[in-house]
Amino acid sequence: MTVRAGTTRWVLGRLAGASGTVVVASVVVYAALQLVPGDPLATLTGGKRLTESQLDVLRQTYGLDKGFVAGYLDWAGHVARFDLGTSSVYQDSVNSLLASRLPVSLALIGYAAVVTVVLGLGVAVVSAVAGRRTATLATVLTSGAAATPPFVAVIVLLAVFSVGLGWFPVTGAGSGFLDRVWHLTLPAVAMAIAAFGVLARVGQAAFADQLRREHVEVARSRGVGRAAVLRRHVVRNSLGPVVTVVGLLLASLFVGTAVVETAFGINGIGAFLVSSVSRQDFPVVQAVSLLAVVVFVVISTAVDLLLPVLDPQLRPAVTR
Amino acid sequence: MTTTVDPRPVLEVEGLSLSVPGHDGPVPLLADVGLVVRPGETVGLVGESGSGKSLTIRTALGLTPRRARTAGRVTVDGLDVLSAGRGELRELRRHTAAMVFQDPRASVNGSRTIGAHLVEGLRAGGVDRRQARARAVELLERVGIREPARAMRRHPGEFSGGMLQRVVIAGALSTNPRLLLADEPTTALDVTTQAEVVSLLTSMQAEAGMGMVFVTHDLTLAAAVCDRVVVMYAGRVVEVAAGDELFRSPAHPYTAALLDAHPGLHGPRAALRAVPGRPLALAETPSGCSFRDRCTEADDACAEEVPALRRHGGSDAACLRPGREAWA
Repeated sequence: MTVRAGTTRWVLGRLAGASGTVVVASVVVYAALQLVPGDPLATLTGGKRLTESQLDVLRQTYGLDKGFVAGYLDWAGHVARFDLGTSSVYQDSVNSLLASRLPVSLALIGYAAVVTVVLGLGVAVVSAVAGRRTATLATVLTSGAAATPPFVAVIVLLAVFSVGLGWFPVTGAGSGFLDRVWHLTLPAVAMAIAAFGVLARVGQAAFADQLRREHVEVARSRGVGRAAVLRRHVVRNSLGPVVTVVGLLLASLFVGTAVVETAFGINGIGAFLVSSVSRQDFPVVQAVSLLAVVVFVVISTAVDLLLPVLDPQLRPAVTR
Repeated sequence: MTTTVDPRPVLEVEGLSLSVPGHDGPVPLLADVGLVVRPGETVGLVGESGSGKSLTIRTALGLTPRRARTAGRVTVDGLDVLSAGRGELRELRRHTAAMVFQDPRASVNGSRTIGAHLVEGLRAGGVDRRQARARAVELLERVGIREPARAMRRHPGEFSGGMLQRVVIAGALSTNPRLLLADEPTTALDVTTQAEVVSLLTSMQAEAGMGMVFVTHDLTLAAAVCDRVVVMYAGRVVEVAAGDELFRSPAHPYTAALLDAHPGLHGPRAALRAVPGRPLALAETPSGCSFRDRCTEADDACAEEVPALRRHGGSDAACLRPGREAWA
């Protein structure tokens, strides 16, 4: 088999695997409707009284009159055409409900991701290069951060920086760029703390491992400057573990919005999921769950495909 | 060849001692090591693993272990390395001295291309990007890499060990150093490629008139390649002699033991004899002569003090009773 054919097969294999995962997850999400005790139709309506014609639409969309397999195919057909159904609470299309909440969540996730990556890798580099005492201090700090769940971070940050010092607002997402950054700072930090800890630990270990390698000593022996050695030999060669972890953390940030948005009164996807669960707005819960799966799968597939491009040593055997 | 003037050495190591901090005080690794390399000369540094060969030549580039304490003098092309600042060391590494490491697989960054490896050294030496690329291709051609322009874009994983060591040599020679430090450059290679790499190194060295230190644990190879051979044991120099002299009549029992442990191709087939005992680190050595516990000739006098290097025939040996004729 030629290298090119091997590479093509490998890429197609990854994509097929990713699609398969999404399909399986969608079956689970659809089946959840049937698993809820009682009549699925009652679950969908959330106990509200609807006209017979409205109920018919629901029955059709969810294929409730057709049995599980045909029903799933019907529903999946709608989803595949990006028709996520109608919220039983808002009587509005789930699409537009999500679309109006997505931007603030994406801004929050993006902000948290930047904080995670910049601080995480920064602390990792410093502690890998610095002396033993600084490294120990950094290890204590990052281990503590990695073990801090978002709901604890939320309470502490609110108590100190909003209520105590009054530097940041308690609630809301702000309007306009700077106001939004100001409003989203505490929520982003709350989401980023644990991710920062994990990334810093992984980065520090990866950098320290590379620093011991001979190619680093070779570069030093040739009079290559310190910063260039770090960039081209230490960080460059650690991209495998670092990018993998960043991908996982990014996906987990998406899920993390549920707690943080609720706590800070931000009207995003996460808070929407929480409120929809309590109001039994089943179509919304399904849609957000499915979205979370897709985000996970897309990110991890992207990381898988990206790694061999970043580092030839990470190429799977068939593509070499 | 007539030498009218004794050219200034490119490397001069005098009374070098080195220790690193340990749990119970400093751990000595080198004691009173001396070494002189003149331009155009190849000096072999031979000994078992842990004898301090690599450490000695790394010191010449200022690559001492973290928090190491040093004493003595190491001079490379006029620069006092042990007291040199960071900037001076960087200049030394960029222009004056270069090192070829043991394992080419480990010494070339596997994530980057061959071209990036070569260009990096040249760029550090102040060559601009375009010239560096052109010169890298030229160097690859000179060390015998086929299709050098294409090789620039390849990764180390696509080369054999021998070919990769040629790349490493090209990288080390790219800045026209006055001193080349070769740290067991053939140990990690197949026997067939060893000879090619050695002849490449020696021909390039002769062409450029560099001084070279050739570190190896193979005494026969050292004797064949080097003008002079320095034998180290447990962080000390025990014998210095011309390559052929050393081979013909070793003056130190350790050198003789090393030779007896190596199969010869010529003459009557003698039984191979392993050197008894295991190689020691300087910190574990007994009083007096470091080798005396493993030496078949040692007596009470050997325990009294560390013998100094003394002239014996064509060699300098650190032994109270040098030369085979003195042994039982």
